[in-house]
Amino acid sequence: MIDSKRGSAFAERMNLKPTALLCAAFFGALVSSHAQLSWEKTEIELHPKAGDQEVIANFQYENKGTKPVHINAVRTSCGCTVASLKKNDVLPGEKGEVTATFKIGGRTGIQQKVVTVDTDDAAQPQTNLLLKAVIQQPVELQPAFVYWQQGEAAKPKTITLKAAKDVAITKVDVTSSSPDFTAEVKKGSAPGEFKINVQPKDTSKQVNGTLTIKPDYPQAFYATVRVTGAETPR
Amino acid sequence: MRGVLRQTFALLGLAFLPAIGQAVYERERVAWSEQAMTEDEVTVEQARAWGDSVLWVDARPEEQFQQQHIPGAILLNEDRWQELLPEMLNTWSPEKRTVVYCSTQSCSLSHAVARRLRDEAQLKNIYVLHGGWQKWLETNK
Repeated sequence: MIDSKRGSAFAERMNLKPTALLCAAFFGALVSSHAQLSWEKTEIELHPKAGDQEVIANFQYENKGTKPVHINAVRTSCGCTVASLKKNDVLPGEKGEVTATFKIGGRTGIQQKVVTVDTDDAAQPQTNLLLKAVIQQPVELQPAFVYWQQGEAAKPKTITLKAAKDVAITKVDVTSSSPDFTAEVKKGSAPGEFKINVQPKDTSKQVNGTLTIKPDYPQAFYATVRVTGAETPR
Repeated sequence: MRGVLRQTFALLGLAFLPAIGQAVYERERVAWSEQAMTEDEVTVEQARAWGDSVLWVDARPEEQFQQQHIPGAILLNEDRWQELLPEMLNTWSPEKRTVVYCSTQSCSLSHAVARRLRDEAQLKNIYVLHGGWQKWLETNK
């Protein structure tokens, strides 16, 4: 609440004319006024299922102001996300939505993609919308790459396969693209865990191969195996 | 004269109040200074000084890589991680330092790719190019 007596006293002391005070109040109000486009949520978190190719978030808005708002553009922070809207002009009281489609590709973990909405609303010309996707990896290979340096003892190295909590895996088959490597699968100590022991036939020459790992799950996984040059980092 | 000055200062003071409020409210959106380098980042000059012992990894989308990239760079992004990772690993060698880059300092793709190379492939000597492709272009003008 503004204390009018105190305000008048302040104006009097500063020798301010009422019109000057009005101007200041007007400009102050102009700078701090709120946007007319009101968003139901500016942050949406989605949990796609393992194997899903994309996630879609709909950001609902309403023009709660008295003037039409023109949406100049919707931009995304990543080429993997496409944002679209049905119409650019939003009349007072009108509702609509911005649709953000995020292509998962090979991404895992928590992914945050920003959609920026540019409008002609001088008070809030830009709004950032956040699409948060928590992408579960059905299977984790640790590590997805094993190598031996040339001349190193051709001892087996282990890749551990761990299934995610809600993914049931009881069996794993592994094949190598190269006859220079052999692979053997053993059950691990925890449920859904398997140990893949890989071994090169010899390490006298540089060779590489890909292990195709096929669990009883509708997706194959890959690991790279190599015998590399013998140098160490300088 | 003194009255005019007093009024001017009073009006400026009043105008400052909402401006300060807005600056505090919007502080996250304002780039107050150039971002400092993180521990795993290297500058273009540092990476170039390593000469041939650098494996350049381009984490940008494929279209941008096809348009132009650092000479000798290989493509590795999260759009096609499963397909591109084996290709990168078959080019990688332990004596090389891997430098990952994306478009600009603000893009996070290079950090995501670098993190996954360390975590999933357990590679060492993985760096991120400070300023990305944009900085490379600026220093190679």
